[in-house]
Amino acid sequence: MTDLSVSVSSNAHLAAQQPLPEAPAKVTVRNLNFYYGEHHALKNINLTLGTNRVTAFIGPSGCGKSTLLRIFNRMYDLYPGQRVTGQLMLDQTNILDPKLDLNLLRARVGMVFQKPTPFPMTIYENIAFGIRLYEKISKSEMDDRVEKALRGGALWNEVKDKLNASGLSLSGGQQQRLCIARTVAVRPEVILFDEPCSALDPISTAKVEELIQELSENYTIAIVTHNMQQAARVSDKTAFMYLGELIEFDDTSKIFTSPSDRRTQDYITGRFG
Amino acid sequence: MAVQSDAPVMDAAGPYDRAKALSAFKLGDVTFYWITRLSAISVLLILGGIIVSLIIGAWPAAKAFGIQFLWTQRWAPSADPPVLGALSPMYGTLVTSIIAMVIAIPVGLGIAIFLTELCPQWLRRPIGIAIELLAGIPSIIYGMWGFFVLGPFLAYTFQPFMIDTFGSVPVLGAIFAGPPSYLSLFNAALILAIMVLPFITAISVDVFKTVPPVLKEAAYGVGCTTWEVVRSVVIPYTRVGVIGGIMLALGRALGETMAVTFIIGNSFRISSSIFAPGTTISAAIASEFAESDGLHQSALILLGLLLFVLTFFVLAAARLMLLRLEKKAGK
Repeated sequence: MTDLSVSVSSNAHLAAQQPLPEAPAKVTVRNLNFYYGEHHALKNINLTLGTNRVTAFIGPSGCGKSTLLRIFNRMYDLYPGQRVTGQLMLDQTNILDPKLDLNLLRARVGMVFQKPTPFPMTIYENIAFGIRLYEKISKSEMDDRVEKALRGGALWNEVKDKLNASGLSLSGGQQQRLCIARTVAVRPEVILFDEPCSALDPISTAKVEELIQELSENYTIAIVTHNMQQAARVSDKTAFMYLGELIEFDDTSKIFTSPSDRRTQDYITGRFG
Repeated sequence: MAVQSDAPVMDAAGPYDRAKALSAFKLGDVTFYWITRLSAISVLLILGGIIVSLIIGAWPAAKAFGIQFLWTQRWAPSADPPVLGALSPMYGTLVTSIIAMVIAIPVGLGIAIFLTELCPQWLRRPIGIAIELLAGIPSIIYGMWGFFVLGPFLAYTFQPFMIDTFGSVPVLGAIFAGPPSYLSLFNAALILAIMVLPFITAISVDVFKTVPPVLKEAAYGVGCTTWEVVRSVVIPYTRVGVIGGIMLALGRALGETMAVTFIIGNSFRISSSIFAPGTTISAAIASEFAESDGLHQSALILLGLLLFVLTFFVLAAARLMLLRLEKKAGK
């Protein structure tokens, strides 16, 4: 039932969507190459993420979408043997600068993962934890920020009476919204979503998608998804990637109605991938 | 249930007689069930047997000395009548174990954190192997090393330094005071710390590896430093396993015999100084059991029973602490 209603509303959304005016670039990618050891995983990527726009990345498994996302906050730095060449700017900051303070970068570029990842602490602490890393604020201010973040994550009404319960006691969908609230609490500029709904049921998925739409008023958003309806529903721009290359990058409405590349068309009509 | 309803379909599928195959499995299953059950029960039987024989052996001493055994410091088996008390071995056991854990826990956890989170790949194996080797060294070798190497260093270098530094501070002064001696509580505690270190490190490394990488990435993703990730995510996530490792180490420290007997001095006197000789329960039993008889032997068995009870209480306390931690984390 829910599935049906979601897809109906999505079609309506797609039909009603007008191409938005070009937004100023928030993240600029120029000639980006990425290597896992010897393996050349991303080949000469060029694109921009518009300020306060939602950009979706689609493509078959292993095409490099998640890899690209993990370069935006330098998450690949945690692992040896992975390296990157090219240029990647966040406003005027060079993200690939080896001297860059990674903690500050990750405060500006938040990330939500495929599986919900609440920290092993209370719901309140899950949110307060991130804030405390950057700011020293009083208890009452902290209460305020936590409430705001949980409201931002569309979770406040469900958890306000059990803020001291473990974050792990929530359902999968609630955990994922907790993770989004936690990301928002740090006040990032860019939020990366790596298949945020792939472990969620349809109702939770609808809630998270709605949330992404709301967040796009204040944040620049990049989302990797395997669900093409989802890309169509939530994004302004869509990038189709295949075998480490960026095949096509355009307005979402254009990609899903009249893609200019043959491979994009084959993929969105389900002929491969 | 599901198997039964499936059976007709399977029969129809071919000549394969599913009912017959299942009954053969069933026999195997029953055998398997009883073998595992007997193995589990045998643990209880052995444990019960040990406790019962300890109680029987300790009975004469328990009757002769009563509850006073627990707080009598004097140990004079050849006096007439013999005066025997457990206070100083119990004191020695607890003090050496506590000092050993105070040293070994931070160092062991530090090594584990370094190995799993920070260590460059090429250095991991050498350090890991060194830790394993440390666990494999026979305890008598630790004892000899403690006597010939650590003892002189502690007596002539470390203790004078501590006395010079803290000698005039009221409480600390008394803790470090006394004539230099190779054989001391502190020497035994240091050796114990080195001996239990591999347990803490090996178990911590294993449980740290079970933290899902994505959870760590999430913590790095909100901007944590490695220290913050370890303190707020890795250790809380694995605390049950880490505390289990620490308890295993503590159990070993409480019961370790050979190395301690070698370097603790076997003196039944409680001194305020940790550089003075002392004894532990297991050291007392090991050094005296061979030439004991009658009431003396029974008192040594009673000491053994006390060690058993002491270990049990320490483990129970650890469990309790774990429960309270869980409550605090909001379960």
